[in-house]
Amino acid sequence: MKITVNRSAVIDAPIDRVWAVLRDFNSHEQWHPAVDRSEMENDAGGDVVGSVRRFCLAGGSELREQLLSHSDREHTLTYCILDSPLPLLDYVATVRLKPVTDGNRTFWEWRSRFRAPGDRAGELEGLVGRQIYEAGFTGLRTFLADEGALARPEPPGASPPVVETVEGELLPSRAVTVTDHGGPDLLLLSDVTVPAPDPQEVRIRQTAIAVNYLDIGHRRGIVPGLELPGTPGVEGVGEIVDVGAQVNGLFPGDRVAYMARAPGAYAGIRCVDAGACIPLPAGVSDKDASTLLKGVTAALLLGRVFRAAPGETILIQAVAGGLGHLLSQWAKSMDLIVIGTVSSTEKARFSRDHGCDHPIVIEDARPLQADVMRITNGRGVDHWVHSSGARGLDDALACLSRCGHCAVIGGRDGQPISLDVNLLKQRSLTVSAPVCFDYTDDRPYLHRLAHQLFAKIQNRTIIPAIETFPLGKASDAHRKIESRQTTGTVVLIPDK
Amino acid sequence: MVKVYRSTVLDAPADRVWRDLRDFNGLANWHPSIALSRIEKGHPADKVGCVRNLQLKDGARIREQLLSLSDYDFSCMYAILDSPMDMSDYVATLRLLPVTEGNRCFIEWSAEFECRPEQVTELTDTVGEGMFQTGFDALKKRYGQR
Ligand SMILES: NC(=O)c1ccc[n+]([C@@H]2O[C@H](COP(=O)([O-])OP(=O)(O)OC[C@H]3O[C@@H](n4cnc5c(N)ncnc54)[C@H](OP(=O)(O)O)[C@@H]3O)[C@@H](O)[C@H]2O)c1
Repeated sequence: MKITVNRSAVIDAPIDRVWAVLRDFNSHEQWHPAVDRSEMENDAGGDVVGSVRRFCLAGGSELREQLLSHSDREHTLTYCILDSPLPLLDYVATVRLKPVTDGNRTFWEWRSRFRAPGDRAGELEGLVGRQIYEAGFTGLRTFLADEGALARPEPPGASPPVVETVEGELLPSRAVTVTDHGGPDLLLLSDVTVPAPDPQEVRIRQTAIAVNYLDIGHRRGIVPGLELPGTPGVEGVGEIVDVGAQVNGLFPGDRVAYMARAPGAYAGIRCVDAGACIPLPAGVSDKDASTLLKGVTAALLLGRVFRAAPGETILIQAVAGGLGHLLSQWAKSMDLIVIGTVSSTEKARFSRDHGCDHPIVIEDARPLQADVMRITNGRGVDHWVHSSGARGLDDALACLSRCGHCAVIGGRDGQPISLDVNLLKQRSLTVSAPVCFDYTDDRPYLHRLAHQLFAKIQNRTIIPAIETFPLGKASDAHRKIESRQTTGTVVLIPDK
Repeated sequence: MVKVYRSTVLDAPADRVWRDLRDFNGLANWHPSIALSRIEKGHPADKVGCVRNLQLKDGARIREQLLSLSDYDFSCMYAILDSPMDMSDYVATLRLLPVTEGNRCFIEWSAEFECRPEQVTELTDTVGEGMFQTGFDALKKRYGQR
């Protein structure tokens, strides 16, 4: 069946700026959320007609495309698909820009024609139109906004007064400090003074601080990392107050999000390593940006750890939780089949609205194998996201399909986990124990995943569910999470 | 050859705007500089080759001939046969393209003509601003844009 896809948008930037990015046939990995990596075969330049680019997609699959025509004069390029995991036959696409003289903007048209099996026509039209073209519009906007932020000159000496007067000084603030390991009541707000940033740091006035389950482990002392007395929290969002002498490309007033291995985020003002900071696009709110760590974890699980592909099945424990509801929406956007566990019918309803096809309400310690086999017609699941440590791990392995993969991303009790490798060998199973920071130390990778996340939030492929608590009520927030009363993610808001 | 190009974005779907623009006799309905329009010899306004006879608000007269009209591409071309402007070989193209994001449309209006070198600046402005951009501004209002 012959299919035509046509999508177009107006980008709020001059045509030269937009074309400077798009004319490079090898630029997608910088701005397109669906493309993890792009490289030219034979090291050809990005404007060599006939050259071939090789994409590694966010889901792990690969694509080869050939440049058929390129015109700087007409601001157009045409390309075709050589190899694709999807049945996009005789696919030829054209990207064309036109200047919008009224307002110095750019009209961008992206269209293609291809053949596809009749029963998949609608699905493939939507996939190309939404996940490639429309997601590309959003991705390029984000990329250009960030570029603008990076190219912004230093603020002129006279303004802005607030920044000038505080620069270099100690700033008073409040932070949650833990002096003993133990229960949630030990999270106490106290007055602190925050020194000026080190040469490689920026000082941030925070507006949203996500609570992660890791913070609870730190507080209880069952996960190492929080030295006492200390402030928990491994991510935050806010506005830069001032920057260290050696910091490039970040300026006072920039809105940023960060995630960092070293705790210290439950605070009004703090200093963090500039390299961990990601400038926020205008279309993403501070609250939504505080999904950074969980969203990026979702992305790296699907893209790097599992290399998940459309049509595969994934089971997510605590699918109504912070990571869970983001991961299920992300997986759904990649056309995976999502199964998830929840502890109540209310959470099941919530998870259905957030990408989960098959919520399973678990009564404690009941094995899931029967449910999973029923849902997967006896095949088992390809990917399993495990956050209960040793508990239920045997059951998880029994639920995996041949060559299935279980990622152990957490355990609530900190108990040691032992594993019989011979058992894995029986069905070529993989068990991994990924920790997001080991992946995001690769900063360009972190930035790429963050942009994919922000693009998905902006085009509402992912809708974060966020419950807020004042920073001073961090103990209530922890208590609510530990008693399994929360859905979505929990965020602390410091006083202004 | 002098070239003039203007474009903008209208807050209405392309097919809606095209209903207004495809009428070669409809310019007076929306362009503030045009007082009257009629098609010569009683031809229908979508007959390629027909001539529209325009009277501007300032009293000037222009005769323009429809060279092409495409309901498929949402575009038309026309040439000036007679006008008080000191130019020749004037051919203009008007085209709509849908902006699928937000269901709006992109409109571009361009012209090519010959004239004496010392007239280029003035005529470019007359055509680009006086005719095209003024028309856009009226269309933006017509479809409810600030
Ligand atoms: N390795 C990494 O890089 C990485 C990164 C991010 C997160 N994680 C892990 O992913 C998991 C989810 O993290 P999150 O921050 O988004 O937290 P979360 O899922 O929002 O945590 C709360 C939820 O966990 C579930 N839960 C299951 N057993 C529980 C118990 N005994 N006590 C309390 N809650 C229980 C509850 O859901 P139900 O009531 O529906 O069961 C509860 O609503 C955690 O294990 C975390 O450590 C790992």
